Amino acid sequence: MNIQQHHLLHTTRRHFFRDCRVGLGAMALGSMMNQDGPFAAEQALDATNPLAPKPPHFKPRAKNVIFLFMAGGPSQLELFDPKPKLQQLEGQVIPESYVENQRFAFLKKDAKLLGTRRKFAQHGDSGQTVSECLPHIASISDDIAIVRSMSTDVFNHGPAKFFMNTGFNRFGRPSMGAWITYGIGSEASDLPGFVVLQSGPRGPRGGSPNWGSGFLPTTFQGVPFRGKGAPILNLDNPAGIDAARQGDFVQAVNDFNRLRLADTHDPEIATRIAAYEMAYRMQSSAPELMDITDETQETIELYGADPAKPSFANNCLLARRLVQRGTRFVQLYHTDWDHHGNPDTELTGTLDKVCKEIDQPAAALVKDLKRLGMLDDTIVVWGGEFGRTPQGEPRDFLGRDHHIEAFSMWLAGGGVKAGITIGKTDDLGYFPVEDRVHVHDLHATILHLMGLDHLKLTYRFQGRDFRLTDVAGDVVQKLLA
Amino acid sequence: MPFPLPYHRLESNSMRCLPRERLLSAAAFLFRLLLRNRRVGATALLLLVVCVAANADEPSFVRDVKPILTQHCAKCHNVAKQESGLRLDVGGGLLRGGDGGAVLVAGDVANSRLLRILRGEDDEVEQMPPEGPPLGQQEIATIQAWIAAGAKVPEAELKLKVESDHWAYQVLTRPSLPAVTRTDSVQNAIDHFVLAKLQAEGLAPSAEANRATLIRRVSLDLLGIPPTPAEVDAFVNDARPDASERLVDRLLASPAYGERWGRHWLDLARYADSNGFTRDFGREIWKYREWVIAAVNSGMSFDQFTIEQFAGDMLPDPTLDQLIATGFHRNTLINEEGGTDQEQFRVDAVADRVDTTGVVYLGLTLGCARCHQHKYDPISQREYYQVFAFLNNCDEPQVDAPTPWEIAQGVVDRRDGIRGQIQERETALAAQAEEFTKKQLEWEPTIAPDFYRTLPGPTQAALGKKLDKRDDVEKKLIVELFKTTDAAREAFPLVKEIADLRAIEPAIPTSMILRERQELRETHIHRRGNFLDQGDRVAASVPSVLHSLATEASEATRLDFARWLVAADNPLTPRVIVNRFWQRFFGRGIVETENDFGIQGTPPTHPQLLDWLAAEFVASGWDVKAIHRAIVTSATYRQASHHRRELDEVDPFNKLLARQSRVRLDAEIIRDNALAVGGLLSRKIGGPSVHPPQPEGIYLFTQDPKPWNTDTHEDRYRRGMYTYFWRSSPYPSLMAFDAPEANVTCTRRVRSNTPLQSLTLANDIQFIECARALAVEVLATDCDHDGKRAELLFQRCFSRGPNELERSRLVELVAAQRTAFSQDPDAATALIGGEKPDSNDIELAAWTAASRVLMNLDEFITRE
Repeated sequence: MNIQQHHLLHTTRRHFFRDCRVGLGAMALGSMMNQDGPFAAEQALDATNPLAPKPPHFKPRAKNVIFLFMAGGPSQLELFDPKPKLQQLEGQVIPESYVENQRFAFLKKDAKLLGTRRKFAQHGDSGQTVSECLPHIASISDDIAIVRSMSTDVFNHGPAKFFMNTGFNRFGRPSMGAWITYGIGSEASDLPGFVVLQSGPRGPRGGSPNWGSGFLPTTFQGVPFRGKGAPILNLDNPAGIDAARQGDFVQAVNDFNRLRLADTHDPEIATRIAAYEMAYRMQSSAPELMDITDETQETIELYGADPAKPSFANNCLLARRLVQRGTRFVQLYHTDWDHHGNPDTELTGTLDKVCKEIDQPAAALVKDLKRLGMLDDTIVVWGGEFGRTPQGEPRDFLGRDHHIEAFSMWLAGGGVKAGITIGKTDDLGYFPVEDRVHVHDLHATILHLMGLDHLKLTYRFQGRDFRLTDVAGDVVQKLLA
Repeated sequence: MPFPLPYHRLESNSMRCLPRERLLSAAAFLFRLLLRNRRVGATALLLLVVCVAANADEPSFVRDVKPILTQHCAKCHNVAKQESGLRLDVGGGLLRGGDGGAVLVAGDVANSRLLRILRGEDDEVEQMPPEGPPLGQQEIATIQAWIAAGAKVPEAELKLKVESDHWAYQVLTRPSLPAVTRTDSVQNAIDHFVLAKLQAEGLAPSAEANRATLIRRVSLDLLGIPPTPAEVDAFVNDARPDASERLVDRLLASPAYGERWGRHWLDLARYADSNGFTRDFGREIWKYREWVIAAVNSGMSFDQFTIEQFAGDMLPDPTLDQLIATGFHRNTLINEEGGTDQEQFRVDAVADRVDTTGVVYLGLTLGCARCHQHKYDPISQREYYQVFAFLNNCDEPQVDAPTPWEIAQGVVDRRDGIRGQIQERETALAAQAEEFTKKQLEWEPTIAPDFYRTLPGPTQAALGKKLDKRDDVEKKLIVELFKTTDAAREAFPLVKEIADLRAIEPAIPTSMILRERQELRETHIHRRGNFLDQGDRVAASVPSVLHSLATEASEATRLDFARWLVAADNPLTPRVIVNRFWQRFFGRGIVETENDFGIQGTPPTHPQLLDWLAAEFVASGWDVKAIHRAIVTSATYRQASHHRRELDEVDPFNKLLARQSRVRLDAEIIRDNALAVGGLLSRKIGGPSVHPPQPEGIYLFTQDPKPWNTDTHEDRYRRGMYTYFWRSSPYPSLMAFDAPEANVTCTRRVRSNTPLQSLTLANDIQFIECARALAVEVLATDCDHDGKRAELLFQRCFSRGPNELERSRLVELVAAQRTAFSQDPDAATALIGGEKPDSNDIELAAWTAASRVLMNLDEFITRE
């Protein structure tokens, strides 16, 4: 290319900024577009990023969410909600008054009550009750708020997972991470705003709709990061293309795109140019993110991580690294909590195993965020799609069925009141008797902490303004610091 | 005046149930009585009430009852609100009852619930009205008297039909063409409507796009495949006056048209190859996809297309194809998770069919009325379940769908013969049941944990129970599982024989269909949408705000419903369907909310144009190709798509259509286009779904890994619409470009613009393959001049040559790549996927790199 042509391309580049400003300004994509001055061009480029940060409805308490999703339904009766009375009544048929209008996945109405085999104790200055299964989480009792009175609407795994993630028991609605990035964008400039990580023997039931964007633009859907190899699909250059040649490639693509932009004036092309630049940055930032060997040995040990082997521990550490880099919403799935009482799904050895897999890393995440001064800005949520029944299942080993009326979760950081337990269940642990927190209430509360009013965060689809909380949801005031 | 309260009530209300003169004298009499003696007065009052209740002078609904209802009840029980599905603003509503069933029994006071509710004596419902004072004794007595006398309502009061003046519900008439001054810009009737509006706004249309752009545009829109350079040349040089019309006729006759427009329909049909939800097992319904493609290609009229899909099984002597067509509503999800209530998910599937029908045909969000009266549109919850009833009466079987070839070759007979042999052996095996069970129980404890983990949830659940605790389904599951083991085959030779026979049983394609049940399933209103809380029974019917339904049967059927959807007097279906066509050709519908023509939807930008197209569609005998032809030959469609600065100021979203729109290609078409440009695209039509290459690691995020044996030969390069679609883990490059998730109907695809798309186009192995194939083709031509080759590459990718700047940039790129690869020949070999280095590698790699750049440009994935 000769000098004159270089000049032409350069001119086109300037035209690009100017035209794109006019086009986008007309579409009112952002108030910044009315600015002028030395940085206007760069800001114009920023406005081509649909994930750019947007102001919340009111001053937020938190900036990020890390949701530790315990897929399968952890047993609250073994972990957070001791029931001495249930212990006493073990072996008796549950009173009919409890189950007359209830449906279960597997249980019959005449199932017998089952006490726990686990010991509970009080921990920390706050004296919160946690079972022996989770010693590390017990050690952060003063930093977490335990909710014993969660309830949900549906008792099969797939629909219940959709419900916990999207506030609706069928497919097609946006997930919480999608709603939040739609609402306030992301501060990550070279990583996705909503990332999903996975550990455990299998992926979560239902798959991609759990982090889908539903009717929201695809831009807001969760991006799965794999623990092995390239974390994002197609992140690696093709064989024979090194970083330098990939750089040439991106530059050439964008040069041609700018020429086309100058010809057609279509602002979509400006967005595409920005997308190629971000993709190129992601190609180095994502592997850099995944490489946890640059953490201190002390940190790696705190989590119990092993850089060579994907695990929940690695994912907790990655979650912290993502949030450090501005990612708005990180969701970690850990599967294998579905303890029905089959040889490999029972409440003794297999429960111990999964508890051991998550206990230290989850607690380490809270401790690590705290010592880095990030816990104030980050909400950590721990829990599954439902809990487990006070009745045992008539199988060969100890097990419980899915329970939707009452189960336990915990939250920490980001404006959540620390060292409290809210909600109370009846003597059998069957129904909440105080401070019932429905999934919609949990969603309303998390949005509230992020500075979003769940009644106002809406999207019009098929003639209706949809919300994450559907037509319900109240902010749980007792959870707020 | 110090009248006691009872008298006051009598005065204000009893007037309505007695002739005036008699009442006046009674009142005067009472008045005198009361003045004299209160006790006697009260007795007299009671007498009067009794006298009214048993009045031989029959109470009139309009004169006596309706005013009471209007005063106390109609605030909530009116046509718009219909609390509990009950209307009390009109006599018919009172007779019909609400969600909970009848509220009165004519002539039977004791069994008329309304009276109990008004008195606060009902077990379930609180005393009505919930706010304000309860009805007076006298008012209740009036209603009671009316019921006792037979609850007669005049004809005019029986009408429950809802009226609405909303535009979309109005009868369709063909508007006349508005006059325009720019007659030179008119190609057909469509242009009159568009130009008239532009004229009113003082705007000029854009010039016609150049010929190369036009052929590329119309090829991508009608076929989803770009024109070849030879086709572009021929069209550009075709001087005949009807060159455009000839081109369009050729494209409409191409089998690729059925693929392109069939795929649009599959979006609406939520087509996928798996069951969805948690287990997401595979399903076989690709025959339905074939049917859609064939129907579109054959020019089947849209009304027939609809009737066969909704009720092909109910047509007289239905053909196999007509049965397969009913797959439209079999594309709903199936939940195979252990411990599910199958009725719950069946009901959800029927609800999805109602929602889909509403959105796809009527542009109505019927689904909003599943739990309560529609908040905006005049559709009651009762009406929702009346529509539900049409779709609630089918079984959902699978049928053999052999090809004529398979039938002719006797494959079906051979299969049936083998099945007969299997049956004989099954019977013989059943005679050894006791011994079989004994062996099975010996085997069960020996199941290895690794094997156990691989078993489906229901099987695991069954194994967790003792034999006598298993139900029949569970017993059968374990028996079948045991039969697959060596232990069973050794102990019972019959088990092995059966397995061997099964192995040679020819596979015949099947398809999922609807079959109407002989015995009607009762449909009830589900209170608050809860299928466990069943209210009043309803008969199949349609929303009363719309045109009426014709039926010859005592109860309207699904077939009647199908015919109603495409009846000539349906005001919605033709408007909704042509609007969706328009959306596909312009990127935006005339009604922007293509799935909502109700009160909340956006009004049409060109209402007369919409009506003209819709009326034309019906008048043409629902001829889809005719409407497509009219649209793509209009001057409006043929305009250039370049933004015009003066337009961007006044019409940034191009609603006035003073230009065409640049539209990013659909996900499948992006890949089809790359394959076509690279010369790799297979043109085979139909058949089972295929497995092109995909990146590794897709199934880490699903419950079960899915089988994916990457195809190697032709099936590797089939059109994107044939790619196997797993709902829980869809093909990633499709999803990156906004293909629908296929869980619910999709009437408009989002067009996002994301870095993940860039990564896909830049690095995905399929796109590298296409770039390489294109480079091979360009190098195969006998010109060795970089500038000429750059020209060729541009022609292939964009149906146009490069401008000066583009040409020099491309030549510069090739030169730089050539230098770089010369310094690193191994990289060249790697890029082109060579097994051992070859002297031609560097040149091929340099042109592959250049092709890759062009295939990543915005223009490559955009219809200009």
